[in-house]
Amino acid sequence: MAKIVTLREQRVMPHGSALDRFHHYDGTTYHGRSQLKPAPFENGIVGTYIFLAGLSGAAAVLSVLAATTGQSSLRRVERRSRYLALAAPILGAPLLIYDLRTPKRFYNMLRVAKGTSPMSIGTWVLMNYSGFSVLSAAAQAASDVWGANQRLQSVARFAAVPEALAGAVLATYTASLMSATSTPVWAAAPEALAVRYGASSMASAAAALTLGEIDPGVRGKLQAITAGALAVEAVAGTIAHRTYYRKGVEAAFQSPSGIAEKLGAKGLGVLLPLGLLAASALLGRRRGALSTAAAIATIAGSAMLRVSMLGVGDQSAARPDISFRFSTPSNLAEAEQDQRGSP
Amino acid sequence: MYVSPRAQEFAQSTLERVIPDESELTAGVRIEPGKSYGFFTDTTVCIGCKACEVACKEWNNLPADNLGLTGHSYDNTGALSANSWRHVAFVETSGNGGVRATREAPFQSGWLMLSDVCKHCHNAPCLEACPTGALFKTEFDTVVVQQDICNGCGYCVPACPFGVVDIGSNDGKAHKCTLCYDRLKGGLEPACAKSCPTDSIQFGEVAELQRHAAERVIHLHDLGVSNAYLYGVPNSPGATGGLGHLNAFFLLTARPEVYNLPVAPTRPSRRVAPSLLSGLMAVAGLAVAAAAILSRRE
Amino acid sequence: MPTMRGTITIAQESRFQMVEHHGATHLFTLAPNASSEPAQIAALAARQARVRVKYRRGDNVLANVAERIDIDLAPEIAPGVTPGPASCT
Repeated sequence: MAKIVTLREQRVMPHGSALDRFHHYDGTTYHGRSQLKPAPFENGIVGTYIFLAGLSGAAAVLSVLAATTGQSSLRRVERRSRYLALAAPILGAPLLIYDLRTPKRFYNMLRVAKGTSPMSIGTWVLMNYSGFSVLSAAAQAASDVWGANQRLQSVARFAAVPEALAGAVLATYTASLMSATSTPVWAAAPEALAVRYGASSMASAAAALTLGEIDPGVRGKLQAITAGALAVEAVAGTIAHRTYYRKGVEAAFQSPSGIAEKLGAKGLGVLLPLGLLAASALLGRRRGALSTAAAIATIAGSAMLRVSMLGVGDQSAARPDISFRFSTPSNLAEAEQDQRGSP
Repeated sequence: MYVSPRAQEFAQSTLERVIPDESELTAGVRIEPGKSYGFFTDTTVCIGCKACEVACKEWNNLPADNLGLTGHSYDNTGALSANSWRHVAFVETSGNGGVRATREAPFQSGWLMLSDVCKHCHNAPCLEACPTGALFKTEFDTVVVQQDICNGCGYCVPACPFGVVDIGSNDGKAHKCTLCYDRLKGGLEPACAKSCPTDSIQFGEVAELQRHAAERVIHLHDLGVSNAYLYGVPNSPGATGGLGHLNAFFLLTARPEVYNLPVAPTRPSRRVAPSLLSGLMAVAGLAVAAAAILSRRE
Repeated sequence: MPTMRGTITIAQESRFQMVEHHGATHLFTLAPNASSEPAQIAALAARQARVRVKYRRGDNVLANVAERIDIDLAPEIAPGVTPGPASCT
């Protein structure tokens, strides 16, 4: 296993005289050509995978939480989230393999396990998650088809715990995947992006579980979870944008992907559902349509967040003014401070 | 100019086989596994002949790509790509005050030229990002992509802070300069360094090159080229943010962005732990809240 | 898909040079879904093997992309004689 990167490496002085001369970026580019190369991923495909991984991973977490309450009204939630948790292994993994440019060698991902590569971490977490989620869902399905069986139920619950632990990583590691690159927007606010993705995953999972739920009490609980997760996502998004502005990469959002992020991820995915859920709570639970609309908006917004952030990142990598503004010594100084702060 | 005494043994014009340890004759350094090799590119003596681009393409059997003219001075290659592992950059600066000056400053007065290449970073981000282990550090401290392992996931491409490595659209795998790994194994110096007529590209052991480069900078300062500096040595632009140093480093006379190089790149793997921890804490926190909400009795 | 017959002369990673029997030289790179591996190309180049390559034109490069490589077991062709139409697809 590769060691986790230690942060007490040789300290490069960010304000050495050699760097001071270039402290301020004056807008120079090399014939207007891009300096970085954008990721070659198909944004629709990889964005869909990230969305599915987040949704199913968070569903696995909610499944275990529902099981530990022991309430009979939550048994259906526990059951449905087990099936929902299959989205990543069954739909997501083939998408990833399809996006490889030499797909016949997909198994080479299992040659190494590198702590410095979130793609390697994700490969192994997805493998583990797939194993446990298929086991848990199979036991659940067998129990559903051939009648409730104590042994099958306990197998399902037993497998659900490691599944939930791996699922928690699935819900958020894709943000580290994006941040551990040199693409300016993705690298500018790694923590905020991770919180945003984790919260979006939890919101979309809770929203998806709401859609099939008939018990108004349980639906209310799931809606409360959705609202809480969306609130965290909203805060993280605001912090992220402030950081993007401070680090000079905000200009990448003035693009179609940036508009999709504002309207789709923030508007459709966070503000609209929060408004609808608040309205639904105020009007009592008579308005089933409102909560359904809120759930669908949350799920759609979560998907749009992932795809649009990929597009915004590509924009920031393609524009040399943004990438040069990002790789200035002042941003370096802030990064070094963050490193020194953490153990 | 250094000429090895062994050179006299190979005075004939036709040779039956490769000269053993030829790099000792051509580059003044014997190539031994376990040592750290790289390039020092002195842009003040580059004449923009592109012999390095041609030699690289010829030796590595790379096809011509990005055909057509760009209109960017004499740079029709544009950028490093999957099939261009050496790229000569041209920047026409217009002398003093933006007007065609009648008296130019000494050295590279109006035309900057730089032969760009993979930097073979000490803490290479592409290597750290590669999930298949295709990218590895060779016995010569260079970074190479193993073509029989790479599955074209493309994660190395955005990881590189210099925009070097690229996925070939025709064969679906990542490609970049190998520092002529096959030549090094045979005792030959890399093709570009061998073909450079002005010795702008110097091949050797990294520590020795850094020493020589520092002397060159002092010499240039004495001559009046006060804006000469090194890019990619420790504590200088290009070797920032945890990258350590660049095995292929440069002597520049203008700010790095002019040559399409970043001033202060960072090592992306430093962002893995903070990002993962923040995300997991958020999910954990939301899970705790969710547990509390779920266990509420109606 | 067009086919070309010739001798593999140089191999470098997954790229190889093939000389047709009448002397024209072409540069190929292996397609992502080709079943051949770079090590096999190196072996073919080492013995200057005669092969038959199914290929397509490369995108943005002056090279062809080899989809399939077969060992060419056809009898010797005299220099200056182009192969008959039977080998074209």
